[in-house]
Amino acid sequence: MQRLRPGPVAAVGAIALLALLVPLFGLDNPLHMDIAHRLARPTLAHPLGQDAYGRDVLSRLLWGARVSLAVASSSSLLACLFGTALGLAGGFLRGPVEFVALRGMDVVLCFPPLLLALLVVTLLGPGAATLIPVLAVLYLPGFVRVVYAGVLSVRNQDYVEAMRSLGAGRLRIMLGTILPNVGGPVLVQLSLAAASAVVLESGLSFLGLGVVPPAPSWGLMIGEARATMLQAPLLLLWPCLALSVTILALNALCDALRDAVDPHGITRGRRRAALLERLAPGLLPQPGPALELVGLTIAIDTPAGPIHPVRDVSLRVMPHETLALVGESGSGKSLTGLATMGLLPPVARVAGGAAWIDGRDVLRLDEAALRRLRGATVAMIFQDPLSSLNPVQRIATQIGEAIEAHGASGARAAWRRAVELLRHVGIPDPERRAHNFPHEMSGGMRQRAMIAMAIANQPRLLIADEPTTALDVTIQAQVLDLLATLRRESGMALVFITHSLPVVAEIADRVAVMYAGEIVEQGRVAEVFARPLHPYTAALLASVPREDASLPEPIPGTVPPPYALPPGCAFAPRCRLARADCASGTLPLTEVMAERLTRCRRWSELA
Amino acid sequence: MLFVLKRIGVSVLLVWVVATIVFLAIRMVPGDPAAILLSQGGVAPDPAAVAALRVQLGLNQPLGLQYVEDMRRLLVGNLGQSLQDQTPVAGEILRRLPRTLELIGAAAVLAVLVGLPAGLVAAMRRGGTFDRIASWLAAAALAVPVFVVGTLMVAIFAQGLHWAPAGGYVSFARHPLRHLVLLAMPAATIAVGLAAILFRMTRAAVLDVSMRDYIRTARAKGVAPRRILARHVLRNALMPIVTVLALNLGSLLGGTVLVEYVFNWPGLSGLLVDAVNARDYPEVQGVVLVISVLFVALNLVVDLLYALLDPRVRHG
Repeated sequence: MQRLRPGPVAAVGAIALLALLVPLFGLDNPLHMDIAHRLARPTLAHPLGQDAYGRDVLSRLLWGARVSLAVASSSSLLACLFGTALGLAGGFLRGPVEFVALRGMDVVLCFPPLLLALLVVTLLGPGAATLIPVLAVLYLPGFVRVVYAGVLSVRNQDYVEAMRSLGAGRLRIMLGTILPNVGGPVLVQLSLAAASAVVLESGLSFLGLGVVPPAPSWGLMIGEARATMLQAPLLLLWPCLALSVTILALNALCDALRDAVDPHGITRGRRRAALLERLAPGLLPQPGPALELVGLTIAIDTPAGPIHPVRDVSLRVMPHETLALVGESGSGKSLTGLATMGLLPPVARVAGGAAWIDGRDVLRLDEAALRRLRGATVAMIFQDPLSSLNPVQRIATQIGEAIEAHGASGARAAWRRAVELLRHVGIPDPERRAHNFPHEMSGGMRQRAMIAMAIANQPRLLIADEPTTALDVTIQAQVLDLLATLRRESGMALVFITHSLPVVAEIADRVAVMYAGEIVEQGRVAEVFARPLHPYTAALLASVPREDASLPEPIPGTVPPPYALPPGCAFAPRCRLARADCASGTLPLTEVMAERLTRCRRWSELA
Repeated sequence: MLFVLKRIGVSVLLVWVVATIVFLAIRMVPGDPAAILLSQGGVAPDPAAVAALRVQLGLNQPLGLQYVEDMRRLLVGNLGQSLQDQTPVAGEILRRLPRTLELIGAAAVLAVLVGLPAGLVAAMRRGGTFDRIASWLAAAALAVPVFVVGTLMVAIFAQGLHWAPAGGYVSFARHPLRHLVLLAMPAATIAVGLAAILFRMTRAAVLDVSMRDYIRTARAKGVAPRRILARHVLRNALMPIVTVLALNLGSLLGGTVLVEYVFNWPGLSGLLVDAVNARDYPEVQGVVLVISVLFVALNLVVDLLYALLDPRVRHG
């Protein structure tokens, strides 16, 4: 749970406190009539004047708060109590209890809320005693659903199973493990129910069907003031204001609770600073490479200052060449790929370095120039083809869009070309498949379609971000074959981002190993795999299951997060060769042999 | 097709459950329902009148028989007679229903015209001046209950500025212009809150869709921003927006009660309030039933619309 914003809590608390303390204020009796002074203007004794029956308006306003809040809080608390119990029982006991709990709530939701309240009021007559149970029933479904969903999500988790095997009773499991887990959402529901109850109560009272006169209630006061609107418009204003401010505070509390409970809550991004802080490194690359990264550094601004998930990444990819960018998750390899496309997520920004494509630094291009580049000169395919394809567009439309975006061809020509591309990437019966939606295709076929989309404009550089991770092994091999074939045919350069060393061995010419945001080793695949020059590469190779049946050795420890990097070499805390001097100073990526680069002082000790 | 049939089946089932609950509600009240309906302010009602009402409502027969009889009547569209003037309830409902629907329709059009574009612009310029002002306004609009908006509108535009009459109704056939003038204020009243909800939903949905992988794919293809917005963002954001709109239109079916009361609009809800006040159970029962059926039907339409918008649902 994140921090709760204090403002709304304080506001609701203040209103509740005010309502609680009303009897101590020594106000006039809110029911005391004084017909002689009806609609009297404000005086010292009656600061807000008197109403149509000569009753003190201020007193009625404050006592009205008590009524409104009492109805709202007791009905929402009742709903919370019963709803939580019902949701727990339904989720945990299953069977008929589950059916009754869930379907029963569907039935309650069949009635528009105000209508159900009116139906009951007809039968039982108006009054707070009728109102509270009716409102409680109305808000029951929200609680039941939230709690039920919470129970479902934890019911099969290991620790619940563990407790059960330890002999803990069902009731204890329910109360001990599940309730704390659903506490946040229930609190959100509670605030929603309370806010809605205030609205409904006032509405019914306004109609004369809620709180019975002469008891003070904001809804009633507004209703009564309507009759004397012309003579005393202020009489209308005060209860309207009190009601609206209360609802505003409750709504704000709902939002604040929701933000605090929801882990996917929107992080409030500060305004992005200028795209680049540092000036260009100045060195123009030699002509030739399809992509040259020079000292790429990416920053994410956090409240505690910027963190750098990618630091000083330099690499070069020639046409016809495949470079594998390999590393554990969190090593910064995907961010590097996205930065090259100018597609960094809004929270991240390029803090330094250059990315040369076609003699231009794409990190310094404006959005319009980037758009012309993307999908034409550089293309990218992503890890999950299902989420990366628009679910409501046909596949050939999506491929055709890539063609239309960079050429003058019309929709019909683009469709024909898309069908051709589908055939080219090995999709059987492409004319028919072109009409498919993404969900109608298999995972392998979707990834082929993504590839067709990427190569639609014959790019010079293709960046593939874990394109086979979501696929099973045989499909994986087919997709790798397809990419290798396409690269051979077209002469494009391929940057292949992956965490899988066997895949690297299969597809890449050269490999760059990333660790904690830095490249730690670079070289030809065969040489690097035969003789790693960085302890991390060696450890990574040792962690892969091998054919000689010797046990893989996991790397001890975990990758340090970018906000807690150790000083000196980032790998030192996990390195078996580490010495005292590894934990200080910065290490450059150094060419220690022909075309072999490493970021380690002790590379020669690796045998 | 199977999906459609299944959804229709569920809806029919729900309507039956609603009808059963409305049937049971009056009979589950402790004591004699007829006596309760006739009692006014604690005065014991005339026993002869109670007995007559019991016969009229069929309460003197066994429960099972009453139920079968009730369902049979409902099937042929007979909602019973009003206790106040013995006229058929169905006829009165049929006369008033179009007025309520017109009110809701006009409010929905107004709300969509304001809320949708505002939400879109706010999402595109997130954190900007427009976003902040509009978000603040929406929060304020959501905090003011609909009957307060209506009452204040009457106070300002009718009583204060004399721009429009305080309320009333003239049929379109008799006086087209006056009809629209009278429609404007109640429709605008409902539209205030609805537009705020739509604004929030549109803003959230557009922001959510903008972060999806397929939008990144579209950008990676080099598609122009305007086209991304129209073809990818809006199309996908429309689904949650349609849901929210429909759900709110559904609760408006019952929620226009307050607005119709404030503006003296002789719709279905006004009938309901009068019936509740007069404890005219057959009439209340009829209105609740009709609105609930419309509510269920609306949910059905939304589900089918969903299938139209999202090809994934059709196969689900």
